[in-house]
This record gives sequence, C-alpha cells and structure tokens, in this order.
Amino acid sequence: MKTTLKNPYVYLGFVLPTIALYFLFFIYPMLTSAVYGFTDWNGLDRRNFIGFDNFANAFGDADFQHSMYNNLYFIVFSVFVQIPLIVVFSLLISGVKRLQGFYKTTVFLPSILSTSVIGILWGYIYNPDVGLIASILKIFGAEPIYWLGESKWAMFAILITNAWQWMGFYIVLILAAILAIPKEIDEAARIDGASGAQRAWYLTVPLIRPVINVVVMLSIAGALRVVDIVLVMTDGGPAGATDVMASYMVSKAIKFGDYGYGTALSIIIFAFALLLTALYQFAFARRQERVEY
Amino acid sequence: MPAALRKSVPHVVMMVYVVVILVPFLFVLFSSFKANNTEIALHPFGLPKSWKFSNYQEAWVKAKISVYFWNSLYLAAAAAAVGVLLSAATAFALTRMKFPKTSAAIYQFVLIGMLIPGNVLFIAQYLLVRNLHILNTHWSLFLPYAAGALPFSVLLICAFMRAIPTELEEAAVMDGMSAPGLFARIILPLTVPALVTVFIVNFLGNWNEYLLAQFFISKDALRTLPTGMVQFRDAFQTNYALVCTGIVFSVAPVAVLYGFLQRTIIEGLTAGSLKG
Amino acid sequence: MKRNLVLVFTLLMSLSLVLAACGSKNNDSAGSSSPPGSPSASASESPNASPSASPSETKVEPFTMSLRHIQIGDPQKFRKAILDEVVKRTQEEVPGLTIELDGVEDSVNRFTKLPAEMAAGNPPKIFDVFGGAADTQKYAKAGRMLDLTPILDELGLRDKFLSGVLDPFSVDGKVYGLPIGGNTEGIFYNTEIFQQNGLNPPTTWEDLIKAADTLKAKGITPFATGNKAAWVGNMLVNTLIGRMAGEGTNPGFITGASKWNSPDVVAAYQIIADWESKGYFTKGELGKEYGDMLNDFVAGKAGMMFDGSWRSSAFKDDAVGKAIAGKVAFVALPPVPNGKGNQTSVNANYGEGYGFSSDLNDNEKAAVKAFIKNMYSDEMQLRGLLEDGVLPSMKLGDDSVAKVTDPLVKQVLDVLKNAGASFPHFDSIVQSKVNAETEAQLQKLIAGKAKSDAVGAAIQKVQDAENAASAK
Repeated sequence: MKTTLKNPYVYLGFVLPTIALYFLFFIYPMLTSAVYGFTDWNGLDRRNFIGFDNFANAFGDADFQHSMYNNLYFIVFSVFVQIPLIVVFSLLISGVKRLQGFYKTTVFLPSILSTSVIGILWGYIYNPDVGLIASILKIFGAEPIYWLGESKWAMFAILITNAWQWMGFYIVLILAAILAIPKEIDEAARIDGASGAQRAWYLTVPLIRPVINVVVMLSIAGALRVVDIVLVMTDGGPAGATDVMASYMVSKAIKFGDYGYGTALSIIIFAFALLLTALYQFAFARRQERVEY
Repeated sequence: MPAALRKSVPHVVMMVYVVVILVPFLFVLFSSFKANNTEIALHPFGLPKSWKFSNYQEAWVKAKISVYFWNSLYLAAAAAAVGVLLSAATAFALTRMKFPKTSAAIYQFVLIGMLIPGNVLFIAQYLLVRNLHILNTHWSLFLPYAAGALPFSVLLICAFMRAIPTELEEAAVMDGMSAPGLFARIILPLTVPALVTVFIVNFLGNWNEYLLAQFFISKDALRTLPTGMVQFRDAFQTNYALVCTGIVFSVAPVAVLYGFLQRTIIEGLTAGSLKG
Repeated sequence: MKRNLVLVFTLLMSLSLVLAACGSKNNDSAGSSSPPGSPSASASESPNASPSASPSETKVEPFTMSLRHIQIGDPQKFRKAILDEVVKRTQEEVPGLTIELDGVEDSVNRFTKLPAEMAAGNPPKIFDVFGGAADTQKYAKAGRMLDLTPILDELGLRDKFLSGVLDPFSVDGKVYGLPIGGNTEGIFYNTEIFQQNGLNPPTTWEDLIKAADTLKAKGITPFATGNKAAWVGNMLVNTLIGRMAGEGTNPGFITGASKWNSPDVVAAYQIIADWESKGYFTKGELGKEYGDMLNDFVAGKAGMMFDGSWRSSAFKDDAVGKAIAGKVAFVALPPVPNGKGNQTSVNANYGEGYGFSSDLNDNEKAAVKAFIKNMYSDEMQLRGLLEDGVLPSMKLGDDSVAKVTDPLVKQVLDVLKNAGASFPHFDSIVQSKVNAETEAQLQKLIAGKAKSDAVGAAIQKVQDAENAASAK
C-alpha cells in the first residue's frame, strides 16, 4: 500500500510541470541576466563582453543613484509616515462597533484597483487646470500647484497616490490582528483603570507587533518593486525626478536600447533587495515568529 | 471629555479618511458626464448641467474597453487557475508523497523565487518570450503570470496541506485509491479555502499587471485593461471628460464585483500576504 | 486503468506546457474582428474606388496584416481619414487581405514600441517610422525592414519623390521607407491676442522678445509648451541650433564635424535656459503633454507656440482648434542676433513615413505594393496638403499647389518659399541614444538641474561613444 505514495513517476507528474514553468520563467532569466549584464548589447546587433564596465558605470551614474534614493523615499515614507497612520486608523476602527464593516470595505477598495488606472485617476486629480486639488485651491484664491510638472512636488505627489492606494490594505491586515486579541485582556486592563489610549499603546500595539513587522517587510518589498505608478503618472519625469530603479532600468533598456546596461541594473536591484531583506531580518525580525491568524 | 463626544472622535476621523478615499471617485464620475473641459474647470464640484451620456458611448467605441476588459478577465483567470492547479499538484507531491529529501530540496528551490522582486526579471523575460516567438501574443503574458504565481502559491498551499491529518488518506490508500485519485478526490476538496485565497491573490495581481502587458503586447486587440487605459489616456490627453469616462468604465466592474465578494476578497488578500 | 489516468493527467500537464511554448501565432488574430477606423471621417470624395481592380473569383486564403499608425485622437483626424481611405482601397485590391489598424501615440511608437519590436524582430508588417540613423537606417542595417527599391522601380515612383527626401530612409542606395510628407517647425501665434496687445507679428527678434515680455507682463503665457515628452521642446532647440551654429550643423554631429559642446550649440541651449528663467513657457511644462500645448494655445492662455506645420489643420472650422480658427498665423523663427550661417534658413523635415517588415510572404508583399501605390499617389499627396496641411513629399505640379486655400497652409508654403536654405531636424540624423540623451538633458535644463554647457557636454559624451561604436 505504501507504494501508492512512493511511485516516482506519479511524483514527477505532479512536480515536473511546476518545475519546468518555474525554471523557464525564473531561473533561466536569472541565468541569462547574469550573462547579458556583462555585455554592451543594444538589442539589435552588437554584443561584446565588456566585463564589469556596466556595473562600474552604474555606480558612477548620478541618475541611477538618484533613482535609488527615490526607492529609499518610498521606504522611508511608508515606514515613518504610512505605518504610524495605519496603526492609528486600525486602532480607531477596532474601537467602534457601528460602521466598522463600512470603514473596512471602503478603505480597502483602492487596493484592488489596477495601479495604472489609479495613476490615470490621480493624474487627473493633480491636473493644474481642471484637477480636484487645483479647483479646491482656487476656492481659497491660491495658485495651482504643478504637482507632476515640478521636481520638488512630483515625488511627493506619487508617494501620496501610492499611500492612498495601499494604506487600506494594511489597515485591514492590522485590524484583523487587533480583533483577534482576546477580549478578556482588554477588559482586565479597563477594569484596572487604563484609558483607551493607554490600552492601545501599552497593550494592543505590543501584541500586534508581529503583524506590524510583516507590514514593514511588505512595505519594503513593495517599495523596491514599485514601477507601474511611476511609469503611468510621470514616466520618471520631470527630468528624472521620480525615476525609481526599475523605471530607470526599463527606460535604459527600451528607450536607449541599452539592454546590457539595463540588465546590469536589474542585477543590482536584485542585490539591493536581498541586502535589505537580510538586514531587516537580521536586525529586527530575528526573534519574531511567523504570525498566523 | 463627555462620553458621547469621545465616542464620536473615531467616527469623525474615519469619515475624513472615507471622504479622502471616495471623493476622487465622485469627482471623476461627475466629470465623466460633463460636456467639456470648460465646464469641468468652471464647475468642478457640482453635478453636470446636463448629463452627457454620449461620452460613455464615445469612450466605449473609441477605447475598445470591452476588448481590453475581456482580455484582462480571461488572461487573469486562466493564468491564476493554471497557477493554482499546478501549485496544488506540486504541494500535494511535496507534502503527501514519500520522497522527503527530494521534496525538501524542491521546496527550497521554488522558494528562491520569493526573493526575486517581480520586475528584476523584466528584460530577461522579455528576451525569453521573444526567443520563444510568443511576443505579442497572449501566451507572453499567460506563461509569466502563471509562473509568477508559483513560489507564493506552493508555499501557501504546502502550509495548508501539511495541516490536513493523514488518517483520511491512509484509509483511502487502503481502499486502493491511486495518488492522483487521492489528490483529486480527497486532498483537493479539503484544500479549497487555500486555493480560493491563492486564486484571488493571483487573479488580482494578473488583472492589475502593467509592466509586462505594456511591453510584451503591442496590438490593440490584445491589450489588457491597464495598458489599454493608459493608451486611451495618451490618445485623448486633454479630453478630460472622455478620459474620466474611461476610468469609470474600468473601475465600475471591479467595484461591483468587490461589492458582492468583499469578504472573500479581503480575507483572501490579507491572509495571502500574512502567510507569504 | 488507474495507470492510464495518471498518464493522461501527466500528459495533460506537460502538454499544456508544450502547447504554450509552441502554439505561438494562433492567438494573433483573437478579438480582431472589430472593423478598423471610423467610416465617418472618410466622407470626402473618392473618385476611383477602382472596381476594375476587384479580385478575380479565385479562392484565396484570407490573411491579416498589422499596420501601426500614429493618427490617434482628434487633432489627427484628417490624416486618419486619408489612411482609412488608402486601407480601404488596398483591401479591395488585394484578395483576402484584412489590414488590422493599430494606433499608438507618436512618441510611444517611435521611442518605446518600435525599438522594442525591432529588437525582438517582430515589428508590425506596416508601420509608421522616421528616417535617419536612429530609426529607419538602424533597423534597415539590422535587416528588419523591407527593401522597397524593386517595388519603387516597378511602380515608377522613385523619381516622383522630391530630391533628397528618400536619403534618410536609404542605406547604400536602397530605399527602406517612404516619407509621407513634409513639415517645417515654426511659430504659431494668436493674431487676436497680438492685436489686442498692440504687438507686431514676431518676424524680427526684437518683436518676438517684445511680444514675449508684453504677454508675460499681462499674465498670458508667451509660449505654450508641454515637455513631459521632450521631443516637443526639441523642436525649438533644433531651430535655435540652426540659427546659432548654422544650418549645416546637424549633419555634422555624426561625423564629428560639429559638437554639442561647441560654444554655438551651447549658446542655443542658453537661449532656452534664459527663456525658462524669464518665464516664457507654460508653467509646469514638464508635467504637460503635447496635447496640453495645443489646448492652452487654443484656449487663449498662450500667445504663441513653437510647433510643426502639421498642426495647421487643427485650426480649421471642424477641428479641435476651431475656437481660434482664422485667428492663427505662422511664421519662421526670426533671425537671431549674433547667429551664424544663413538666418533665413528653416527647418524642413521629410522625416516621417511608412516602413515595412522584412518578414513578409508573397501575399503580404503584394499587399505592401498595393498600399504604396495607393498611399503615395498624387491624389493622396494633394489631399494631405489640402485637408491636412501636410507638405507633399512627392513632386506635385504648381497647379496643385495653387489649389491651396487655407491661409495657414499658404503661410507655411510661404515660409518655405522664402527660406534661404533648409536643414533637417537632428533627430533624423543622430543615433537613438543621442536623441534620447538630448531629451533627458533638455528636461534637466528646463528643470534648472543642468546648465547649458553641462547639457552640451553630456550629449557630446554620448555622441562620441556612439560615433566610436558605429565606426567599429
């Protein structure tokens, strides 16, 4: 009878399609990337091995550095602005009985929409001539702000849009964790005379720290992956002000035809992601168990 | 602070947030019915003076939204379904069949994929689908979408299957059931909650995907909704009413679906990310 | 029996993979049943819909050919109507042919889609393409484009084109693309706004600057522009280079005879920088689309715009710019003080046209021939001129040109007639990487992130690298 679950052919039948597809679209591209990254291939004709030139160029490329900083802005903004807000909103929602479902459903809504549609929508909201924000400013007699047209605003405008899209998702995540805390703990603290704010800070927040850690992880991963919203809203502009690593890579490969250089950049992005993940795991999340609710 | 006031503070704050979420949609909805840019600029907030339903007809004809919508729907669903089925089969083999060493190795191998940020492989995948001669066909999206779902799906389904007690299948094997039968008739039905979760996560990921769809497909008839809408915006750059109509067309079906399936969708997405 | 099940299951799984990998082209025509184009625009006279050429009753395999065009959106509707007519006639003449139109925004097609498709070796069968080293010549050298020389000889078309206009589309004497028409880039100005403010037409540098300063003081944007895609701003850069460094400058970039970091070219960029700091251009221009530029000009928010003569058709009574129809005039950029070379020279481009994939079977080649015959005819050239203000790329008789009634098109023709010399846009000359760099650097200049000399130096660096690479 044991042979049923020990038949190697059946085993292969179950595993092979996945392995094949996975190999073709993950491992093989990784391997080819490692080759292309060391060439000056322009996508059409010439392909010479040029050693580490692409990587040396990348580290001397001020525009690429700038795009790297923009990824960091995404991380900083989500960790230090979005996540505190997310925790506060989650606590607020968890504290109410009426309308809890409504809040949850509404704030979650943007995260199921396509990023490109959200980019178009917010491009319109930011429009200096007819956009929502310009119209509101006009009521107060203020000049329109060129959100996506000026370097000093564009990054901020994209960060806001990104936050608008994703905050609700994380709120629901954390809300679930808060609601899973046994009522008795909260009740006991209340009888001891702790105020709502005290209970939230001293009781709830420590209990949901594992989920917050997950949210931080997801935010970092998301910040390194971000590209759609930049391509749709500004295409990296004005003058490269909003380029992130991935959009810069795409533009180098496709617009400039620098496939070799673009691939080298993608290897650097990968290394960057590995490094950040490892650092975070090492520094903060080492002792945390994976949470399951 | 009086109790009533204290109780209303969270509601006030949340209402502000809800307004921030909903007002952009309302603004776009109203704009989509307005006659032209001048009316939008002069009366940005009010209802349209006369409701221009013709915008919708025009956008529908000019943007081929129905084509984009259908392409997105069937591609996202097919890729998600195939990804889920392949992952479930693999997870079954890894967790239930008796090849512990091989299984552990395969599991680790597949999980490497979780470490790779999606767009890193963009150029290499582009060259791959081009060498397979499937660029500019739906295969060039279907295959990467299905493949992209694998690491996460295998991880999640494996976790779920490990929790299923072994007694059931032992009995079934005694009765002479084969491994595929076991998988199809016993394990798969028990795994449905995890499969639904994985399907939803993958479906929405595919539905919203932009980068590959933008560069792997260049025929209008094959475009998906995200890229089709960007193309539409680029074509009608300054006809804001028409662009808003396009936004409404692409948001409305999703919003309606969400209205019906919100609980499933929310649980699926959040559970998916927690375990991933 | 159970074994069979397993087998079937495994087979199914692996089959799906194999199918996926090989079954490439089946999917191509999915969902392509919708008819191309809108018939509404093709209402104009169509004298010879040639029933004589209708197919003989032999059985033919229906086949589909993709055609990439850039005539999307309202401002391009006249061009689209001509294209639709050509497509219709071609389909009637070639048995079994269906042409599948695929409209993409100009700069997306030129700088994103086509380069990627060319790299992949799967461009559309018929596509809008630009001449020059960055486009047609690059693709032709890579073997991606069809050599049209035999077709031109057969149709007797080669000598019908204006002299020199095929050069940017040629490699080693073989022709790979055909310019659809010509244009010149210059100043459109709003005559009503100029009159109201007591301004002279901007035909001298003093008048131009005075107009800009006056408009600026009145709260009207002097020059509408939209540089989210910097090819828009590059139009003015190009003409300023012609003025400051001489009309022979552009062809010299790829030979090393002229340099982007030479004082004269830098001086051209410095004019842009000065105008930026004086606030001559639309605020927030880096976030504005090309369409916004026309929009602002039509709405009277701006008094002038530097644009291509193809825009003249937007100011007809039935076009997007009808609000200011009859109140628009076109002049060349006036002579610049301290400029070099012939100050009456103008930019003249015969840079955009159609090219064809080299990957064609016999049926498709026949279709290409029919398309060329229908598109590059006296009739369509004249229609382009009369309906759309596109200058002919082929030799038309003077009597044809005399039929032009549109005042704006007449002014465009005058500008060209009065020009002492003409020079091409550098984007039809330099390599694509250099052109991409000019766009990136212009945006930096506009954003105040780079000074004019740094811009010149950065572009020259890429130019040197590309020149060295193509010399290999």
